[in-house]
Amino acid sequence: MAVSRARATAGGSQFLDPAVLGRIANLELLARTVVDGFLTGLHRSPYLGFSVDFAEHRPYMPGDDIRRIDWRLYARTDRHYIKLFEADTNANFSVVLDLSASMSYGSHSLAKIDYARYLAACLAYFSSKQRDRVGLVTFDHEIVDYVPPSMKHLDTILHRLDQSDAGRPGEFEAPLMQVAEMLARKGILVVISDFYEEADDVIRAIGPLRARGHDVIVFHVLDPFELEFPFEEASGFEDLETREQIPVIPSKLKGDYLAMVREHLENLQQRFSENRIDYTLLDTSKPLDMALFQYLLARERLSKTR
Amino acid sequence: MSLTFLVPLFLVGFFGIVVPIIVHLTRRQRRNVVHFPSLMFLEKIPYQEQRRRRIQHWFLLSLRALALILVAAAFARPFFDQSSIGDGGTGGPREVVVLIDQSYSMAVGDQLQEARTEAERIFGQLGPLDRASLVAFARGATVVARSTSDRTRLQGALDTLRVSSGATRYGPALKVAQTIIEESNLPWGEVYLLSDFQRNGWTGDEGIRLPAGSTVTPVPLGTGEAVDNVMVTDVSLPRQNVAGRERVTPTARIVRRGGSEPRDVDVALELDGQEIQTRSVSLAPNTATAVTFQPFTLSQPHTTGTVRLPDDPLLADNAHHFVLSPGTSLPVLIVEAAQAPSDVSLYLRGALEISEDGRFGVRTRRASSVRPVDLDNTAAVFLNNVQIDGPSAERLRSFVDEGGGVLIAFGEGGGWPASAADMLPGTVGQVEDRIQGRGGRLGYLDYEHPIFEVFAGPRSGDFTGARFYRARSLVPSDSAAVLGRFDDGSVALAELRYGRGKVVVWTTSLDAFWNDLALQPVFLPFVHRMAEYLGGRAEAVEWFVAGQVVDLADPEALETSGLVSSEAAGLVEGLDQVAILPSGGSAPLPAGDGPRYLPLEEHGFYTVRQPGSDPARPFVMAVNVDLEESNLTRIDPDELVLQIEAATGPSDGTAALGDAFELRREDQERRQSLWRWLLFSALMLFVAETVISNWASRPRSGAAGRVAG
Repeated sequence: MAVSRARATAGGSQFLDPAVLGRIANLELLARTVVDGFLTGLHRSPYLGFSVDFAEHRPYMPGDDIRRIDWRLYARTDRHYIKLFEADTNANFSVVLDLSASMSYGSHSLAKIDYARYLAACLAYFSSKQRDRVGLVTFDHEIVDYVPPSMKHLDTILHRLDQSDAGRPGEFEAPLMQVAEMLARKGILVVISDFYEEADDVIRAIGPLRARGHDVIVFHVLDPFELEFPFEEASGFEDLETREQIPVIPSKLKGDYLAMVREHLENLQQRFSENRIDYTLLDTSKPLDMALFQYLLARERLSKTR
Repeated sequence: MSLTFLVPLFLVGFFGIVVPIIVHLTRRQRRNVVHFPSLMFLEKIPYQEQRRRRIQHWFLLSLRALALILVAAAFARPFFDQSSIGDGGTGGPREVVVLIDQSYSMAVGDQLQEARTEAERIFGQLGPLDRASLVAFARGATVVARSTSDRTRLQGALDTLRVSSGATRYGPALKVAQTIIEESNLPWGEVYLLSDFQRNGWTGDEGIRLPAGSTVTPVPLGTGEAVDNVMVTDVSLPRQNVAGRERVTPTARIVRRGGSEPRDVDVALELDGQEIQTRSVSLAPNTATAVTFQPFTLSQPHTTGTVRLPDDPLLADNAHHFVLSPGTSLPVLIVEAAQAPSDVSLYLRGALEISEDGRFGVRTRRASSVRPVDLDNTAAVFLNNVQIDGPSAERLRSFVDEGGGVLIAFGEGGGWPASAADMLPGTVGQVEDRIQGRGGRLGYLDYEHPIFEVFAGPRSGDFTGARFYRARSLVPSDSAAVLGRFDDGSVALAELRYGRGKVVVWTTSLDAFWNDLALQPVFLPFVHRMAEYLGGRAEAVEWFVAGQVVDLADPEALETSGLVSSEAAGLVEGLDQVAILPSGGSAPLPAGDGPRYLPLEEHGFYTVRQPGSDPARPFVMAVNVDLEESNLTRIDPDELVLQIEAATGPSDGTAALGDAFELRREDQERRQSLWRWLLFSALMLFVAETVISNWASRPRSGAAGRVAG
């Protein structure tokens, strides 16, 4: 019922409003709603069947399922080969989620951490449907929670995501260094954060992951107020992580602030690009499907380049 | 004409404008706290201290400052000094007293409204330094507004004037005017007398003497033309006991004053608000007639009645109200000697039993003793020619002490024990014969006493015809009152108040043996008055006249006056009462130790009951107007003024000049009352400031962020 209402509220759009998602308490239901709806929307797209894309042939070995023998190749070569598909690779997929206090900010009904949890849940569910092993790492200034990648861990991940809460100061380098050590096997790492660090510091923290062979996809989650700074009244601005407070007259600082944010985003994009890390900026007021779309593009590209 | 301030010290309040500035500059810094994910970028922006010191809303600040300035200015009581304009051309400030007649005759032709108009004109001519008082009067005088220059207040006082039920008396009003002018420090006094100038309101010996320098200006109201007025001047309500039921036959006296042609008048009788009978009579100009209605049975206590005439120019005297309650017989005990002839009390008993309304219940005991049971339910005791023993005298002492009345008629065999001699009004001596000539006569009667007051008028009863041949001598004590003496000066009737009751001694007999009073026509009413007085019953008051005052804290006195029946026991218990006035208003009568005076100022019916109760037959008093006021004959106003105006001369106005100057500033400020406008403006500014500031600081989308969790 919640699904049908969510769709109806979306006004016919296949992209679901984040505010609507915020009303769905069950993360699994939410992930299924988003992902299934998304896939249904892509029914006629050229991406259909990506999970059964041909990868390679290998000689038939006794015990292999004879249904997977490529008869056309047999006709040409008179040898039995088995077709291997991309979907069968069982890649490791881990979500690295930032739980620092700054993620608790939200100017509308959905805070950044909520948006990030929905995104993580959707990606985990999506990957699980592709028979990937899914795992989860949450961190602030240290590792908060770790669920090793496994094909059976989807429920655990969704539960942990549901329980996760942002409230402590955050840091990138130390916890991500630990993540690099914990995730020894190469896989796909999705890092979700608001990246309130200098671009160099971020790269210094995420770089080791990339260096260990992980395919890293970065989702930069920001609230529209962080991007637009629409404040008008002179107020005291309090840092959610440090609790430091400074008086701010928005009308005077807005221009400088926006310029600095723009510069920061450009730096991040440039540095991630240099390190062959997929970077996507997400606005929490935009539908979640956009992020999934970006993820699919990345996966497609990864599968082509692999 | 310049703007100045009565209390300039309050201008210090102008410094209060720094308050909103300080608030403006400081409070804004502490206003909202916006939780923001990170100050990473904001901290990098160069921070300028002076930004916090800037005032964002100059308009709001101006509003607040202006409002405070207006408040301070209002407290400083500003006014435009008009002292250079002059004093109104009268040579000095005046103390003006306007006397307005509000007697009920002012309702003729709406003369009261005419009086209001005239008063407004007089107030409109007041100079800046003049002061005026408004006094409304009828039988008494009420100062409605005293010595003020505030025209708004005077106008408000005028609006409160209503036609009263009282009659005109100029004396009290002029006395009040005299007092106001005497107490005033203004050099000139002027009295305006606004009235229809009825002659009955002025006797000429009021003793009015206005201060020197005062003038009286009469303002006659109305046209002065003769009014055709028909009125009910009296209603007699004789009762008759028919088959154990009390029947009342009302007779109304109708008087017509004025008019030129005979005319028919319908006279209606209403009982308990219902019209039950109507009689039509023809009245020639300046004549009177009596209208007798069919008798009606009086069964309910506090039955209200009204004899009503059709409307004419003077309405108040067209109705005559009364209240009736069924009477109860007064229990009287006659004690006579056992050996006495059987006819010893023949005349006495006969006189008490002869009454149409059965007002006395007579019992006779032939014995020398009085038993306690004899005194139960007895109001008056007649000891007729009997020698009472000691114990009986003590029982009678208790009886009298609790409010009973005893008449001791010493005849041939009468006597009183010496042990109870203190109950007698004097010392009773020997029998004295007066058989020479034609016997003695009654030479002195105290016509002020309730027993004899009904005989005070001419042709109201003649005691001089009675002959007295024998009587006991009596030397009255100091505390006794002698009510009657024989022509030789010896005491015939004496009274002693004992406890709550009274003992009356009749030094001769009540039969026809020692005197022939019993054979005189006056004997019967004399005995009746005696029995009623001893029994504590007075003539029932069927109505009051407007202006009288009743003390409801004295229920016994009311009951004595026939005002309260047993149903009105709430009054006796001393509970809170409320009086419902004829006009519909109410007057609380709280229970207390002191008197509870109820001034009867309106004509109609006053209902007294306990607050919140709704008894079926509440205690009611009828009030009628004073018919003196119905005589609309006028006195020449100039003649009246000549009588009351003192020889005038220039007053010593110089002594008052200093005070007048001091008063000038206050009066000018009071009359201009600029402070009200300033306060009102300040209030409006504060309201505007509140609205604007709320609008300016209304939460816009995203004014503050939310923190999840």
